[in-house]
Amino acid sequence: MEYINPLTGFRLDGRRPNEMRQIRGEVGVVARADGSAVFEMGNTKVIAAVYGPREVQNKSQQIDNQALVRCEYSMSNFSTGNRARKYKGDRRSTEISLVIRQTMEAAILTHLMPRSQIDIFLQVLQADGGTRSACINAATLALADAGIPMRDLVTSCSAGYLCSTPLLDLNYVEDSAGGPDVTVGTLVKMDKVTLLQMDAKLPIDMFADVMQLAIEGCKAIANYIREVLSENSKKLECMKGN
Amino acid sequence: MTPTEGLKPESGLAAEIEVEAYRLLFPLQYYERHLAESVRPDSRALGRARDTTIALGPVTSADGSALVKIGDTTMLAAIKLEVMTPCIGSPDEGSVAVDFQMPPICSPVVRPGRLAELAPVIAKQLSDVIMSSGMLNLKELSLISGKAAWMAYLDIYCLNADGSLFDAALLSATAAFSHLQIPLVSLNDDGKVITVSEELKIKAVEPINKENRKLTIAIVPFSLTCIVHGKYILADPTSEEESVMDTHVTVVLDSKERLVSLYKAGGAILLHASVVKDCIALARLRVEELSEILRESLSAMEVD
Repeated sequence: MEYINPLTGFRLDGRRPNEMRQIRGEVGVVARADGSAVFEMGNTKVIAAVYGPREVQNKSQQIDNQALVRCEYSMSNFSTGNRARKYKGDRRSTEISLVIRQTMEAAILTHLMPRSQIDIFLQVLQADGGTRSACINAATLALADAGIPMRDLVTSCSAGYLCSTPLLDLNYVEDSAGGPDVTVGTLVKMDKVTLLQMDAKLPIDMFADVMQLAIEGCKAIANYIREVLSENSKKLECMKGN
Repeated sequence: MTPTEGLKPESGLAAEIEVEAYRLLFPLQYYERHLAESVRPDSRALGRARDTTIALGPVTSADGSALVKIGDTTMLAAIKLEVMTPCIGSPDEGSVAVDFQMPPICSPVVRPGRLAELAPVIAKQLSDVIMSSGMLNLKELSLISGKAAWMAYLDIYCLNADGSLFDAALLSATAAFSHLQIPLVSLNDDGKVITVSEELKIKAVEPINKENRKLTIAIVPFSLTCIVHGKYILADPTSEEESVMDTHVTVVLDSKERLVSLYKAGGAILLHASVVKDCIALARLRVEELSEILRESLSAMEVD
């Protein structure tokens, strides 16, 4: 199958190889949560809600000198093309929950909130590839909305390699093509990588290019997230002023 | 010393903190002082429900979907249709599977890894009301008698739990069914049913269900949950009100104002028959409001 049209160079959905899907983020969508956000990357739509810092529910897990961070990722039954009952605690959800928790924990200043708990809940409403990245971006927005102190914004983007070209931000069709899928999560200002996952085979000399492309994607998303957050701050300032 | 002694009237930020503390420390007295003036903390009258909005079709990958907000309570319902063989006892009927979930994002009370207590209860109530109210004619979900019929999977997710969960869930289910568009299907050479894309104009593939793409929803059930406390009846409680006063009554009426379902499960207050009649009267008013809102959003969809 032609993932890149040989004549025009366009991908299946009309994008260029180094073009990301349209992104959209919004904070404050779940009123009862301390912080919440919706993040869309193309057709992938994710809601994140953050509760905390609050009292640890399971006292045996309490840590005396830092906050306990918990994360739960779940997909809605109607999120993928065919309706499939998603069981909580199935292997894929557990793995992604763990990955996202460790990624966000690296950025949160947990030593400022000892003996407390921060819960990050992620619900995938529509899945079209890149759910992991969309979840991390949504979690960053939600944590910022909750006012939880962080070292830096964490953003994430995926990149792949099909038809001898590095591609940015794979959708579901490109992801299932069997080529490599590199997901990168970075702390943008500090220019540090906190998450790096790769599936399938990729020649070593190509890997550096693909990873660099993903990091560029992360930077672009970080700029957008910064805009969303500063718009939100301005709105709050207006409301508080009155 | 009653909670109201020793409270001096203050102004500005100190007064605000006093009120917030009073609300958290003595919630019942806080509410009773409001009820004595026939008003609630969010300045609603006792019998009024919160602002309700319906958005149809938010989930583009589903065959029918609706997002309903009653105040802050948000429900997302989506229907996906799959072909299956009907059961032998009713070869002309399809079937409906209702699933209601409360993911941990919806409320600080829900613990991750554990099901919320309320979710299976509401799922069962929803299933009973949808099946028994006569809203759906299962025969319309049939494709080929005895061989193929639609199984409609209705999944409802609570995205924000702020009271009156059953009302919002039922409204989202009826809105999703009203929005449902049955995909075109046809028989391929193996006798299997396959979906046909609208754009394909291959003459050999004739869709077998070109006529009925939408379900006829003759009777629409609407519900209203009320809280009873002393001599007051509060319609459409928020989650704070539900946690403070524990006697809830849910009344489900259909669009012809017949009683579909009545639910009162325990609670500190035992109801007089006259109170039940008052709840039903409040529900009747709410049914008119909701049918108007549903009708408006359906006609807005048609214009598009």
